[in-house]
Amino acid sequence: MLPAFFADYQQAAETELRRLVPESGDRVQQSMAYTVLAPSKRVRPVLTMLCAELCGGRRERALPAAAAVELIHASSLILDDLPSMDDAALRRGLATNHTVFGESIAILAAFALLNHAFGTVAKAYDADLASRMTVLLAEAIGPEGLIGGQAADLLATDQVIGFEMLERIHRGKTGALFVAAATCGALTAGALPDALASLNAYAKNLGLAFQIVDDLLDVAGDPTETGKAVRSDARKTTFVSFSGITGARQLARELCETADQALTPFGRRADRLRELSAFVAGRSA
Amino acid sequence: MTAAPETPEQNLEIRVDELRAQLRSLGYLDAGVDRFVLGPARDARRPVVIAALASVRIGLLAAALLGPAAAVGIGTRFPGLVTGTGDAVVVALYLAVLFGLAATAISFAASLLVARLPFAAIAQRARAVSRIAGAIVGGACLVYLTLWWRIANPDLASLSPVWTASVLVITVAISFLLGHATAITAFAVMAASRPESLPEVVRRDSLWRLTLGAGALAFAAAAALLLIAAPAPAREEPPPNLAVVSPGVRVRLIAIDGFDPAVWTALSAEGRLPALTGALDDGAIRISAPSDRDPARDWTTIATGQPPQVHGVHGLETRRVAGLQGSVTSGGQEGIARTLRGATDMLRLTRPSTASGAELRSKTLWDVAADAGLRAAVVNWWATWPAMTGGVNPPIVLSDRATLRLERGGALDGEIAPAELYERLRGDWPTITQDARGLMTTLLPASSDAKTMAALRRAAELDALQLVMGGRIRSTSLDLTALYLPGLDIVQHALFGAAGPAAPSTIEARLEGLRSYYVFLDGLLREALEPAADELVILLTQPGRITSIDHGLMAARGALAAGQGAGIGQAADVAPTVLHALGVPISRELGGAPLDGLFSAAFLKRFPVREVESYGRRAAPTELRKGQPLDQEMIERLRSLGYVR
Repeated sequence: MLPAFFADYQQAAETELRRLVPESGDRVQQSMAYTVLAPSKRVRPVLTMLCAELCGGRRERALPAAAAVELIHASSLILDDLPSMDDAALRRGLATNHTVFGESIAILAAFALLNHAFGTVAKAYDADLASRMTVLLAEAIGPEGLIGGQAADLLATDQVIGFEMLERIHRGKTGALFVAAATCGALTAGALPDALASLNAYAKNLGLAFQIVDDLLDVAGDPTETGKAVRSDARKTTFVSFSGITGARQLARELCETADQALTPFGRRADRLRELSAFVAGRSA
Repeated sequence: MTAAPETPEQNLEIRVDELRAQLRSLGYLDAGVDRFVLGPARDARRPVVIAALASVRIGLLAAALLGPAAAVGIGTRFPGLVTGTGDAVVVALYLAVLFGLAATAISFAASLLVARLPFAAIAQRARAVSRIAGAIVGGACLVYLTLWWRIANPDLASLSPVWTASVLVITVAISFLLGHATAITAFAVMAASRPESLPEVVRRDSLWRLTLGAGALAFAAAAALLLIAAPAPAREEPPPNLAVVSPGVRVRLIAIDGFDPAVWTALSAEGRLPALTGALDDGAIRISAPSDRDPARDWTTIATGQPPQVHGVHGLETRRVAGLQGSVTSGGQEGIARTLRGATDMLRLTRPSTASGAELRSKTLWDVAADAGLRAAVVNWWATWPAMTGGVNPPIVLSDRATLRLERGGALDGEIAPAELYERLRGDWPTITQDARGLMTTLLPASSDAKTMAALRRAAELDALQLVMGGRIRSTSLDLTALYLPGLDIVQHALFGAAGPAAPSTIEARLEGLRSYYVFLDGLLREALEPAADELVILLTQPGRITSIDHGLMAARGALAAGQGAGIGQAADVAPTVLHALGVPISRELGGAPLDGLFSAAFLKRFPVREVESYGRRAAPTELRKGQPLDQEMIERLRSLGYVR
């Protein structure tokens, strides 16, 4: 169950996303809004806002960065589901973007969302900060991030892969954006490198834990809660393939504990992030 | 034997272990650089618990980093303490514990203090405040380590600049590390104590530049400190020229402790002390005695010509630190020092020991004479154990523990040098003791009081032993012989210092006992005080532990002697006086000067005082000794003689 404070942050993210991506408009805009505004926990934007507040910043100032991260995430989801990639029919309990709007519109919407993310950052922050965030987000998307992870994932489908390759896939597909989300939030608060390092360690461990739990839910989750068919990743090697369900749960829990450990310098002020990691470790959807 | 098949649970555990290891290698399950300090506090929420757990880790860091560094420094500062690698390791461990505890306590207190700062403005700047706390700790560490390096390397100019720069870089790194550890602890504690958000205005400057700048600044500061703390550069000096311009005499220095000039005057008038009167009546120089008497300190001042703060022997009683061969001074008699001593003794961290050559930092007059190529010998002088065996021409040393070693036998542990002499004396020991007892029996008048007689006999036997042993090493080839006789001081202390109040009749018996000891001593020294044609016999007395007597006497007989010496001198004048008589140049570093009044005008005219800059530093005794030190036996003997309470 989501932490009690979460709703407030989710609402703030929703409002900002609705402002940035209105449902009305042409077909590409509708396609963008379809995925962006689909029901979601908004873990990444909430992470951005929490990190900003933890470093002494304001939530409002972090909102554009949080929205940009979610726009990039939405873009990656559209692309992942395409027939040339995972060819998924269901996402967040809804038909995937390309099945509704067609493949070409979905591709355009994904690219539009990416550009929208960078535009949002550029408009919201001064040149220095915007430049740093742009580099950060570009790296999270690029060959070492989402794109690299997705490429490795495609190449690994129906293949037997090693643990390192699996980590490489998840680091790119999930971890990179988690780290970017946390770092962007901290940057909006002007955090110092030691705080950034702590949050980086937190997000890195949390991101992998998130993905392991995802793998677990794919095997043993309730489709009505996950919005995905059970064993939708059956053709892929997952953490469960390596460690079994019990082992995967244990590793996810340890990763979340490590994430919490990284927050020690922040003391009790980081309790909300601890609640977030507790949620990730125990989530059922 | 085949391993039992693994159960599914065991298989799973093994797989998870492997995956865990792989994750670690990929950078997961790792909370970042501060985990060492803050790791143990990860489950803690209360500020006090975080502060305590993190401070323990800071203490461990400080122990590991500062303990060995301080051990090197302390080894240089107290050359007698560290006599080898084993000692260095033990000292490093002790200091590591000390620094670890201190750093833990300071860090704990500082973290809690910072967290409780009442000012809202400060609370608003938690990060800055914690950084200041870290900077203070790091700065203090930097200053300490730099000064330590300065002290440990008096001759800095001889070190290569690369080596010095490397040390400074390490110093800066250690300081940064401890400062950083303190800063993150303070911040964590502050954050824990204020759950509400702490708004913070932070510059987004590249901190690496700031860190690099601070590092460079710290390096420059440490380098500047090193230069500021350096003493003025030593002038280029030629090596000390100890070329002897020999007046052609041999010197025998006979030192009597516990000598009361008033008693001597009275007995002399009665004609009971012909030998001593003969020696002193020709004219004696008054040697002022310090008001706070300690035999080891005072007689070392006499032997070195330097004050205690230079020669390093501060008191009779020292402490041997557990596990070390070296020793340190016991501190004063104040309540705190006594309590500390008691506590460390009780914990077996230290044990009582006596002043020794380990603390000695200045050359004695027999060391200098030996350096100058003369043959020198010393018998029973304070702080002569362990005897130095190195050098081209080492003096013969029958140290203050020689009698004990000869009595007990066993492997030599620096009590006598050279070692062959021990074998010879040990073989002669029955005869030596027999001779000594014979002298005692013959020369010591009987006393009516049994306790007084017992005290007299003990002291007399001890003095007679020294004289007989001195006689065994005495030869015409020796240029200098120094003999210390403690008997009179032991008797004086036993009868009047420690015996407590007594009936007048007992006091009278004790007084007569004391007088009889003077008579004994006179008889004992009758022959020794007669100089040969080429000899100068110097008789030196000190008042011993009876503080009401304010001076000793110094008189000379034989070749070069003034005949009617007079004047006033001090303890530090004795060594230069003896060395001048031997024709050795006098160091400008000495705390005293030759006493002209002791010498004939002809001698003074023909042999003016020559000077050298320095005699050089005394080498620390670093040889590994193999025998069992007689610490406990020495303490017990000194206790029985009234030296140690």
